[in-house]
Amino acid sequence: MTSRPRSRPAPGAIAIGLIVAALLLLVVIALVLRIDLVAGIRNAFDSLFPVRAATAQGQEIRNLYDIVFYFAAAIFLLVEGLIVWIVIRDRRKPGDNELPAQTHGNNLAEISWTLIPTVIVAFLFYISWQSLNKVEAVSLKPDLTVKAIAGQFQWQFVYLAEDGVTEAFTQVIPQGPGGGLSAPVGRNVLVLLESPDVIHAFYVPRFLYKRDVVPGQVNRFEFRLNEDEAGQTFGGQCAELCGIGHRTMTFEVNALGGAEFDTWLQEQIDKAPASPGPSGSAPPPAATLALVASGIVFDQATLSAPADEPFAIDLDNRDAGIPHDVAIRNDSGLVFNGQDVTGPGKVVDNVPPLAAGAYTFFCTFHANMTGTLTVQ
Amino acid sequence: MATTTLTPAASAYRSGLYEWLTTTDHKKIGILYIVNSFIFFFLAGVLALGVRAELAVPGLQLLTDEHLYNQLFTMHGTAMLFLFIIPMLAGFANYIVPLQIGAPDMAFPRINALSFWLLPLGGILMFSGFLTGGTAAAGWTGYPPLSEDRPGGLASSGPGMDLWLTGLILIGTASILGAVNFLVTIFKMRAPGMTLFRMPILVWTALVTAVLVLMATPVFTSALIMLFIDRNYGGHFFDPATGGNAILWQNVFWFYSHPAVYVMVLPAMGMVSEILPVFSRKPLFGYKAFIFATAGIGALGFSVWAHHMFTTGSVYLPFFSLMTFLIAVPTGVKMFNWIFTMWRGKLTLSTPLLFALGFLSMFLIGGINGAFSAAVPVDFALHDTYWVVAHLHYVLFGGSVFGVFAGVYYWFPKMTGRMLNETLGKVQFVLMFIGFNLTFFPMHVLGLQGMPRRIADYATTAGWNELNLAATIGGFLIAASTIPFLWNVFVSLRSGPIAGDDPWEGNTLEWATTSPPPPYNFDRLPEIRSERPLFDLRHGLTHPAAVLPVPTDPSVTSPPVVVVDEPVARPARARRTRKEP
Repeated sequence: MTSRPRSRPAPGAIAIGLIVAALLLLVVIALVLRIDLVAGIRNAFDSLFPVRAATAQGQEIRNLYDIVFYFAAAIFLLVEGLIVWIVIRDRRKPGDNELPAQTHGNNLAEISWTLIPTVIVAFLFYISWQSLNKVEAVSLKPDLTVKAIAGQFQWQFVYLAEDGVTEAFTQVIPQGPGGGLSAPVGRNVLVLLESPDVIHAFYVPRFLYKRDVVPGQVNRFEFRLNEDEAGQTFGGQCAELCGIGHRTMTFEVNALGGAEFDTWLQEQIDKAPASPGPSGSAPPPAATLALVASGIVFDQATLSAPADEPFAIDLDNRDAGIPHDVAIRNDSGLVFNGQDVTGPGKVVDNVPPLAAGAYTFFCTFHANMTGTLTVQ
Repeated sequence: MATTTLTPAASAYRSGLYEWLTTTDHKKIGILYIVNSFIFFFLAGVLALGVRAELAVPGLQLLTDEHLYNQLFTMHGTAMLFLFIIPMLAGFANYIVPLQIGAPDMAFPRINALSFWLLPLGGILMFSGFLTGGTAAAGWTGYPPLSEDRPGGLASSGPGMDLWLTGLILIGTASILGAVNFLVTIFKMRAPGMTLFRMPILVWTALVTAVLVLMATPVFTSALIMLFIDRNYGGHFFDPATGGNAILWQNVFWFYSHPAVYVMVLPAMGMVSEILPVFSRKPLFGYKAFIFATAGIGALGFSVWAHHMFTTGSVYLPFFSLMTFLIAVPTGVKMFNWIFTMWRGKLTLSTPLLFALGFLSMFLIGGINGAFSAAVPVDFALHDTYWVVAHLHYVLFGGSVFGVFAGVYYWFPKMTGRMLNETLGKVQFVLMFIGFNLTFFPMHVLGLQGMPRRIADYATTAGWNELNLAATIGGFLIAASTIPFLWNVFVSLRSGPIAGDDPWEGNTLEWATTSPPPPYNFDRLPEIRSERPLFDLRHGLTHPAAVLPVPTDPSVTSPPVVVVDEPVARPARARRTRKEP
């Protein structure tokens, strides 16, 4: 036996004392400040679960999460509790040089802690497989098909006609007033995901779901919004690093009642052909506004144009290899969508007469490229 | 080489920088590995502090250039994995494995030196991107097409990404060379009596790790070369715009990078498996079961890579889900074996054991929340959110880093001859344990609330403010916890108590030689009759549970060059009930 002295104070006892003291102190502070401890604990417990699901598929995922969570919590408490208990109970006393029993193992124990976890994980695998089949199911004939196009760094949503091929209407405003992906509650919506550049991911936290948008392949998934979500708006965001503007690739999903959605979509389709084309035989513009896009920003944050008269925007794209355009929107939605131009290049858009008011001009490719257009 | 005239007391080290730059001694190379890894640990830690500082409150304050933000987390991840954890564990294995099997050195000492020196070279190449207009910024996973070279700054034009690729190719080469060296050393240079099933667990984990590296790293290296060709010579392996396949990279990348997770955690498991028995004064519970579990993790580790790709729409999900669930089983076996090693033992709560307990309790969380990702639909919700960031840090920080510090405190006396200060060690442990949980536990909740990873900013209204602030405070607490550590190393190297050969009452052969060991490691070797030769030596005469004593035979004292694999008949162990005081 070596004779290294081991006469230290029992640090475990000190640590346990400190932890108990800290907990008591927290309780006292909570009582003094009149913090509702019960509600606090309940909130803390709730925060271990995902946000409330807004879709049937999300609810399915939530149910599975809950089962996995309770298994995980039970195993965690059992094993962590065992560790803490052993550390408290089986500490060496100072001066104790006796060896404990030299147990080398136990085959029965090994078999049981191999077999029992195997049964548990086999069960978890089975239920997650069942759940996966439901979440990934796609209707033979969806009620609505939307193509979500994710490019650096903007979302566009193309509503397809009932044949699932013809493009009926393109939503180029990913969020805010008059924008976003609008979808009916209680109906099956098929989403086709396309990317022209790098990998993105369509992620709506309230769907509890995400799917990568991979260039060169079309991914698809289906969702059905719960009926009681009508009128709600959910935030969404690109979840796969896609470059410098990754953070800005946000969008919104608007849940509409069935009839409300039908009206909305018809309005948009009716408006779409009337939506001013990139060029036309309109009267000569009353004014021409020069705008330069360089380094994925516009050189101007504010523009002004005459009211009720056509005007032109001269867009100079100096970003080699990168597409830009100019679109104009107000609170009711898109009012103009200009031609795309890949830099270096220039394009002149003829804008039809606009009523006086405040508008936003923006690039449909890059969410950060926006400015204010004052029409007066 | 049959005999050596060096006595353990005599210092055979040539002093000076030249000796360190040219050494082929596995112990010096091991220390070089460890020091080099710590340098990159602090560097990558500073990058992480930059990330956490930016995320502390909503709004862009510190890193208004988001491209720089992307560089920071890319280099943080890359450096922590490839320049800290993997080489750190390789360094420990380099130092410890030859000692534990009673060998005088690694099988190929010069290759050993080469595989070390490739690391700082690769690291400097990658970091030199900061001087050439930006490092890689496509995440440590470098997914194409973002990592392709395209005009306009929306992809990864510029030399940073090429430097990243070149650096990783060098580091991968270093790993492959090291793996071959470990395999040959372990199979051909064990001391007489050191049969495979008497090898210490750390040697077993090093063996399985070497197999993983040898099978997976060449695949990764080929992917890196393909991306390099894409970027520089007009290849189109991964670029769909020119007929390539973006998902191909992910398959090849994760075919390496998932087994690499086990490369990053198995040796740490091995270190913990050395420490727990010593500080419990008991043998490892279920030694053979532990070895089978290690091999099982290694084998299953090759069939789970696509669980990183569940949301790509390009893999058959149920198969990879099942395999991922199954890998929990051998991991659970290990956990229970560790726990029952301590069961009714006599625990000494020294710093190595504290860090080992930190490993057990934190790796447990990292293992359990892995089950959430194995359930594919749940992974749809959690993938690429802060939940994943929490998960991987509970595995790699809670697991590997706590294991590394356990190893540092345990083997520092052997490497330097001096003890580290226990009080400073405990201060470090408490700070790091609290800081770690404060940083990473809230990230679970952030992920559940929908915060994606790799974003430089978030909306004030998103409801993520408090948890992000907590995580940032925790991050700086982790940084603070390294101060007592560095001070401890600095002071103890000069004036720490002299360790002696065997300060912990160790079980394995490294404690049979001097601290630090002489260049050829052993003047004489004890008889090896079990996986605990030193325990047998110490207790052989007095303890009925020990293997029967064998008189020391002077003929086995020279450094062994012949492997004797003959099984020595082992007397049945006397059963002994626990003595009640």
